[in-house]
Amino acid sequence: MTLRAIISTKLGAYGYFAIALAVAIALLFAWVFFKGGYLLTVLQLAMIYGVFCVGLNFFMGYTGQASFGQNAFAAIGGYGSAILTVQYGWEPILALVVSMAVAGVAAVVVGYPTLRLRGHYLAMATFALGLITYDVSVQWTDLTQGYMGYSGIPPLGIGPFTVEDDKLKLVCLAVILALGVWVSSRLRHSRFGRALRAISSTELGAAALGIRVSRYKLLAFIIAALYASAAGSLFAHTVGFISPEVFGLQMVVVTFTMLYVGGIGTVLGPAIGAVIASLLPEVVRSTGRFQDIAYAAVLILMLIFVPKGLSTLASIGRRRPIKAGAEG
Amino acid sequence: MALLEVRGLTKRFDGLVANSDIDLDVPEGSLFAVIGPNGAGKTTFFNMISGFLQPTSGTIAFAGVQITNLRQDRIAAMGLVRTFQLVQLFGGMSVAENVEVGCHLATKGGIGAALVRPPWFRHQEADVRAKALELLDFVGLGVQAEQEATLLPYGQQRLLEVARALAAKPRLLLLDEPAAGLNAHETEVLADIIQRVNRQNITVILIEHDVALVTRIAHRIAVLDFGRKITEGTPDEIKRHPEVIAAYLGTEEAAHA
Amino acid sequence: MPNGFELLQSLINGLGVGLVYGLIAIGFCVIYNASGIVNFAQGVFVMLGGMFAHTLLTRLGLPMLAAAVISIVLVAMVGVLVQVLVINPMWQRKAPLFAIILATLAVQLLIEQIVILTLGDQPRTYPEFTLGGPLKLGPIAIGYQLFWILGCGAVMVVALQLFFNRTRVGRALRACSQNREAAALLGIPVASMLMLSFALSAALGAAAGILITPTQYTAYSVDGPFGINGFIAAIIGGFGSAPAALVGGTLLGVVQAGAIVFFGAGYKNVVALTILLIVLLFFPNGLFGGWGKRV
Ligand SMILES: Nc1ncnc2c1ncn2[C@@H]1O[C@H](COP(=O)(O)OP(=O)(O)OP(=O)(O)O)[C@@H](O)[C@H]1O
Ligand SMILES: [Mg+2]
Repeated sequence: MTLRAIISTKLGAYGYFAIALAVAIALLFAWVFFKGGYLLTVLQLAMIYGVFCVGLNFFMGYTGQASFGQNAFAAIGGYGSAILTVQYGWEPILALVVSMAVAGVAAVVVGYPTLRLRGHYLAMATFALGLITYDVSVQWTDLTQGYMGYSGIPPLGIGPFTVEDDKLKLVCLAVILALGVWVSSRLRHSRFGRALRAISSTELGAAALGIRVSRYKLLAFIIAALYASAAGSLFAHTVGFISPEVFGLQMVVVTFTMLYVGGIGTVLGPAIGAVIASLLPEVVRSTGRFQDIAYAAVLILMLIFVPKGLSTLASIGRRRPIKAGAEG
Repeated sequence: MALLEVRGLTKRFDGLVANSDIDLDVPEGSLFAVIGPNGAGKTTFFNMISGFLQPTSGTIAFAGVQITNLRQDRIAAMGLVRTFQLVQLFGGMSVAENVEVGCHLATKGGIGAALVRPPWFRHQEADVRAKALELLDFVGLGVQAEQEATLLPYGQQRLLEVARALAAKPRLLLLDEPAAGLNAHETEVLADIIQRVNRQNITVILIEHDVALVTRIAHRIAVLDFGRKITEGTPDEIKRHPEVIAAYLGTEEAAHA
Repeated sequence: MPNGFELLQSLINGLGVGLVYGLIAIGFCVIYNASGIVNFAQGVFVMLGGMFAHTLLTRLGLPMLAAAVISIVLVAMVGVLVQVLVINPMWQRKAPLFAIILATLAVQLLIEQIVILTLGDQPRTYPEFTLGGPLKLGPIAIGYQLFWILGCGAVMVVALQLFFNRTRVGRALRACSQNREAAALLGIPVASMLMLSFALSAALGAAAGILITPTQYTAYSVDGPFGINGFIAAIIGGFGSAPAALVGGTLLGVVQAGAIVFFGAGYKNVVALTILLIVLLFFPNGLFGGWGKRV
């Protein structure tokens, strides 16, 4: 089968869109690489937020549940990494993995009771989770150093080899994000992913076919928490500094903006949304407070006018062909 | 021993008694029908059997095992699968994908298998796809396989629900008014499908308003009215039963007259 | 271990905060009953009430009463703006529940940031309405502001009850909450009613914020905790009547105050949120019932 045939049968019109997008992103990376400087940092953060959003998409996109408190798990990752490396001198990679495990356990403990809730209840319970974490990170100064936060967090690395260079950091983060997207794609196109998507549409219908709804919701929640924790750790090791504000309400709004811009429930959407939304403030050359205002405004506008995300504008013919003929 | 044994099943909603002390035995391999006027409590009866509602009192045994108060998915996993009067298709998924979800119980593999994709998993995925297309052909929706499920005409959505339920390899299939919204020809096709399903040794319980259809294809019929089972028997017995004629067939004929 | 007087003292303090939670909770209920929407940005109105009042008092030197009235009117206008610009368009497009919740969160962030830009990010407070005090009862001290909170709270709840039961507009609003379609058929302008519910709810929140600020402080960031605590109070009260919400708020305030004695002030929100989770999980219809059926 020729490449062209593969593209047209496997991906249809969406395939061309995906390729155009891949080229655009490659060009963007090349340009940023060439220019260097501040844009490198912007793109690094985009990759990190991308990881967070790809995870959030499991719970909100595929499974159709609402969580407004994923920032809590990012905080677990960020603080876990900071404390374990700065206070106890652990290897960054090890700190990242252990923090993820802690976040996963926290997700089970929190998710098991709360995911029985629906609608406003679930929304408020998860939102409360984010606020609790924020309060704890401010108040438990022995552990978190309060508003001061942690600085001097070492960059990622393995043994004597550390990723200090900004360009190398970006490459590593991009690879990690690509891995995250790959996992998301694999899971979506499987028995597991189909069950999640069935639940998002009708829990009654899913349960009647033997899908254990509460368990799948919990699994999606845990996956989202693992991604969020990883993103928090990556932030800590990339920027070298964290404070409670990093994981506050801003993070919720910013990541939702990304999810909506890219297209909620799609495989690539969250990552693309993270890149586009990160560049947005650069385009309008705004900083600080104005940046948060811009995100909030864009999110509100999107929620009103393009509720399914920009990807709906490019989703014509994205159905995966399953006719037997396409296999041969 | 019957495949499904219901004893004293009762459901109260606040003041209203939706099901009152219902006994029912459905033998393995039979094609059973439940009829009754609107609001008689038929759907409530299905909801309790399939675990979507907790009975106020009474017991349900399936294949000799107590399933009263069991979770829906556990009941489905035992081979008791239902369709819904208000169709519950998976939106945002194609017709074929809907049936693929139906294969959930008949397949295995979770996150690990999805990531690693070992050979058995890839084969299973291919089988699922083939099975979905086969079932769609079976109910006559093969051509629409790639279409978005919720965009199908209403009648075809019901057929798709049947195909999806069959993908779960049921021992007992509960169909809640599958012919609602179908035209005369489609109803014929559906009747044929139900009978073919039944011949594959799948026990069927059918809720239906179309009495002509029911008396033609069902082996036994139970009649509900105001939450009570007023009678049960062969189609011939039911057609002659005075209370049935008064309570149900009578009004039905009056409506058609 | 704190002694009995300390505990009693903090419970009395908790009473004031609890009544304020109750007022916020009523705000939640007013919007929820009229529209089925839980406005997560409810705390913003509380924050704006305190911030506006402070600004009018200190920068323009207005007397307290004028500052309070003007602040309440301004915040009510903000409430209407939120409804007209954000909620209504989504509502008309039948946006899913969580999208609307998300939009209200975005509104909260937006307003917080605008407040930082215009009024600054420093915490601030202003004196109690009646200077002097506190009232001493043996070792127990009761600040005069508590009486203001009690009095104003009572007046507002009575006024609300009269409004809902005695006035045409109030009855129309209630009709909307019972059945919007039927209300529309009766010729009640449902859209204006929703606007009114936001105005009313914002005004209540603002009043709560103005009343509580002298006993603690206000800053751009107090909206989150106040919103959450008001929501918890509403849930305890079962999202039903105003008095139930007030009782829910008082209960929460007092329990929280007790908890502060044992765990320290920093953890008061953590305690409240834990209460929220307990109520959600074990009393899904609220302690007084009601909410479950409406959903
Ligand atoms: N969840 C519920 N809560 C309260 N009442 C209910 C509930 N479900 C059903 N009912 C009531 O129970 C009675 C029986 O309803 P059911 O849906 O079982 O009837 P049915 O025989 O399936 O009717 P139809 O032919 O219209 O589908 C009706 O009066 C209905 O209003
Ligand atoms: Mg029915």
